[in-house]
Amino acid sequence: MKRLLLLIVPLMLLTSCVREENYADSPMGNFEALWKIIDEHYCFLEYKQIDWDAVKRQYQPYITDDLNNDKLFQILGNMLAELKDGHVNLYAYHNTARYWNWYEDYPRNYSEELVEKYLGHEYRIGGGLRYRILDDNIGYVTCTSFSSGIGNNSLSEMLRYLDICNGLIIDVRNNGGGDLTNAQRITARFTNEKVLVGYMSHKTGKGHSDFSEPEPIYIEPADGVRWQKPVVVLTNRHSYSATNDFVNSMRYMPQATIIGDQTGGGSGMPFNSELPNGWGVRFSACPMFNAEMQQIEFGIEPDIKIDLDPVDQAQGIDTIIEAARTFLNKKS
Amino acid sequence: MTYKYYILSILLLLVSWRAKAQEGPIYTRATSYGLGFTSLQDTYLSPETYKGWEVRFSRETLHQTKLMEGKIWQQTYFQGNFGYTDNRAENNKTATALANWNYGWYYRQPLTHNFNLLLGGTADLNGGFTYNMRNGNNPVSLRAHGSIDASVMALWNLQVKNRPLTLRYQASLPLLGLMFMPHYGQSYYEIFSIGERGGTVKVTTPFSSPSLRQMLSADYPVGKVTLRFTYVWDAQQAHVNQIKSHIYSHIFMIGVVKRFQKL
Repeated sequence: MKRLLLLIVPLMLLTSCVREENYADSPMGNFEALWKIIDEHYCFLEYKQIDWDAVKRQYQPYITDDLNNDKLFQILGNMLAELKDGHVNLYAYHNTARYWNWYEDYPRNYSEELVEKYLGHEYRIGGGLRYRILDDNIGYVTCTSFSSGIGNNSLSEMLRYLDICNGLIIDVRNNGGGDLTNAQRITARFTNEKVLVGYMSHKTGKGHSDFSEPEPIYIEPADGVRWQKPVVVLTNRHSYSATNDFVNSMRYMPQATIIGDQTGGGSGMPFNSELPNGWGVRFSACPMFNAEMQQIEFGIEPDIKIDLDPVDQAQGIDTIIEAARTFLNKKS
Repeated sequence: MTYKYYILSILLLLVSWRAKAQEGPIYTRATSYGLGFTSLQDTYLSPETYKGWEVRFSRETLHQTKLMEGKIWQQTYFQGNFGYTDNRAENNKTATALANWNYGWYYRQPLTHNFNLLLGGTADLNGGFTYNMRNGNNPVSLRAHGSIDASVMALWNLQVKNRPLTLRYQASLPLLGLMFMPHYGQSYYEIFSIGERGGTVKVTTPFSSPSLRQMLSADYPVGKVTLRFTYVWDAQQAHVNQIKSHIYSHIFMIGVVKRFQKL
């Protein structure tokens, strides 16, 4: 047995522990854990010129041992709001802390009622997209989310159906994002060549400026039916995240024009983490850029800026859709 | 007469083959099933430590070869395990599935008449994943690594109530290997959709991947079968691309041992 012990002990000593120390599940422990997650992983601290140490000094004095969950949640939520990022959230069972000023502070420029009026009752649904041919032979497609799968067969069928149209409108207003690959699958229908549409990077370490070399993102032409005529993308401030990326990519498609309001932004791919008390945290982790290597975190300006006119809206007219129809009819 | 001669010749040949087969090496094959406790942390998924249960299956074949007058032994060891763990607040879970295959060669050094030390090395291949049930763009940590391990085995043959008891201790320590690991804040979208894979496969050493797999087993006949009772302490660790991960498992296993000769 002595021999056995002589073997075991040295091997066990060789094995040192690899572990990240966990903070205490206390108000201060949760505060420290959240601050550290953002400090080491959030990707826009440098770009947004946020002094995260100063933020800590500002909020830490409010943290006391007798804080109840509601109060702690409120303080942590306020601290995260300093990042001014719609991809940053704190999730608890009783609430979700969020920063939505990027669209709440601006004209809505969207009416679900109007969109339904334009779609009528005979519209088609395929791959999560709703579409129809408008009276002036313009195809109208509305996409309110990229979260559910958008299949290549559905896209081919849709473009075949709309093939007789003189132009196409893709309405991504109020589309808060979803899966990047779904958005890119649509974009690939609008080019016959491989197109550089942007770059993506990621953090390589804990430092605020530790980033990888940006990697180019290309859109390659889809194998199925591809659209060869003018196309307009409608945007508003609620076109966010993967939709922001979609709009950015469409800007580089040869026949595309962006009409509406500036997009909401949200160019940092979000990651998730958590606090000792189990509250979930979401934060921007991997920044995406346009093809000129410029940040698009705060949105993309349209080619033609136009707002929804309340007078038009009262008469059942969507000013932005009408502007797109006029634009496309002039082009054809 | 010629006919009988042929029959006799064939029978003699079969007996001769049988005799040769009996001279062949004895294989020990054990199939075991286990249950235990696991603790894991993977900072790509969460800074929190997750704890829970693990089930494990293993199949091992060990035999003496004819090389160096029977002093070289060969081992094939496969194990698969599934772990299900909770975070500290018990409001999120991870699921881990791993497969591990080892192919090792050992030099046997008898220390006493019933105590043998086996020293050698193994090729150690691992694959699997840890899935975090709540994460969006970083939901999974893929695990793929291979290494050359130093391995040591101690075999102690005893008699308890006139029945053979074999005690064994084995430890394997990865010395040099390759491991897949995303960069610190890299998404799998970048790796698999954009194709940015540079630097995701890293060389590992005992400093960057100080893992250790230890087993203590006892083989003892009960009735007509030989049972194997095993305790496994498996510590898989890595600190690669500034991502820290560990899975510590304590597993108690029970299995059946078969001994046979290959023809």
